Amino acid sequence: MINFEEELSRFAPIPEVSQAEEAIYNNDLRDISDIVSQITSEIKDAHSGMQPSMAGRIRR
Amino acid sequence: MATKRPVLCPHCGAQVKKNGYCSACYMPLNVLKKAYNTSNYHYNIGYDKAVARDLSGAIESLNTSLRYNKKNVMTRNLLGLIYYEMGEVVMALSHWVISANYMPNNNIATKYIKELRQDPTRLDNVDQIARKYNAALTYAHNGDYDLGVIQLKAILKENPHFVKGYLLLALLHIRTNNYENARTTLRRVLKIDKTNPLAIRYLHEMGDTDENIFKMRMQSVEDDGLFDEDYMSEVSVTVEGDTVIEGANKKMLKEYKARTRQTTVKTGEFGEVNFARYSGFYVLVGLVLGVLVLSFLIVPYQKKKARGESDKLIESYSEELAAKNSEIQALNLELQSVYSQLETELATGEEGSQMPDYSQIQHGMSVEDVQDMIDNE
Repeated sequence: MINFEEELSRFAPIPEVSQAEEAIYNNDLRDISDIVSQITSEIKDAHSGMQPSMAGRIRR
Repeated sequence: MATKRPVLCPHCGAQVKKNGYCSACYMPLNVLKKAYNTSNYHYNIGYDKAVARDLSGAIESLNTSLRYNKKNVMTRNLLGLIYYEMGEVVMALSHWVISANYMPNNNIATKYIKELRQDPTRLDNVDQIARKYNAALTYAHNGDYDLGVIQLKAILKENPHFVKGYLLLALLHIRTNNYENARTTLRRVLKIDKTNPLAIRYLHEMGDTDENIFKMRMQSVEDDGLFDEDYMSEVSVTVEGDTVIEGANKKMLKEYKARTRQTTVKTGEFGEVNFARYSGFYVLVGLVLGVLVLSFLIVPYQKKKARGESDKLIESYSEELAAKNSEIQALNLELQSVYSQLETELATGEEGSQMPDYSQIQHGMSVEDVQDMIDNE
């Protein structure tokens, strides 16, 4: 049986034309390249905190 | 020997090293290539679904495509187009703007945006839809289902492709136990988006089988009467107080009405208004309005017209009078000149030659005798 309140909560207000800018900013999703880039920068940061000899070994 | 062209990173545009990693962003090239290929693969699936009018499925596939490559311009453009078809213009616009931002030249999204911008009435209409839909949603949350239904019908009459509006309308019909109207509404959704999961779920909940749903897609929605009949018609009763079968379909209801010749009375808040009840009041209002129009519009106009005519008459008479006066003046002057001429002639006559003595002339003398007498003198 359909639960009206539960179903109604699925319906969200739609943006007006004046809110189009906000909709564009909210549309900015993360793709694979963003994730890989984040992982790479994390690894870089981790290396910068290590001893130079260790960092060189990991980089190889 | 020809020099090898350097491989550039598709992410940042820097040169890729021999080990396959970008020299600037350290991105592995093979991972990026795989991601872009997968994005294109999902785009193709989305495109096929869109062609088959499975718009919900297409949106899902295209969103997956964007998760692999958010800069996929083709995906963004198609996604915008699907949202536009489903009546969500702001969402469409946002995808097209992002697409145009990634690829400003030779991109069809710029044409779409330009066309939308050049039509301010369309944008105004889009704004109105969003406001009315949000208002209908608020009504539904507050339990004002009738107002919500009226608001949604007003939107959908002007924008018959607004899928979200149909779905909310169907839900409100289900809430008010108008299952037939809910079915008609959901049939319209299936015409636009063949596999809309929410529409199919509502139909299943109302007891429709997959076979029924398949048949629904084939049926025409041109004259389904979704906006013709008052939605309260399903709970109509006769004047005698008999119920007309709750939830009866429109065809049956029409037949019944034709047979009983307006003996049905609509119940509920939105019943027919009997205008004959107020006829005396309307006559009175008409009379008052007539008197007001007569005293404020017609009488002043007539007065003004009469005044204008008399002014014209006076003007013509005064012109005629002036002409006569000038004529009299001219005649007077002429008379004066004649008098003066006569006076001068008389004066010269007294001073100059003697006039003949006419005293000798007697009665009975002939003309020759008179002439002889003058000659002798």
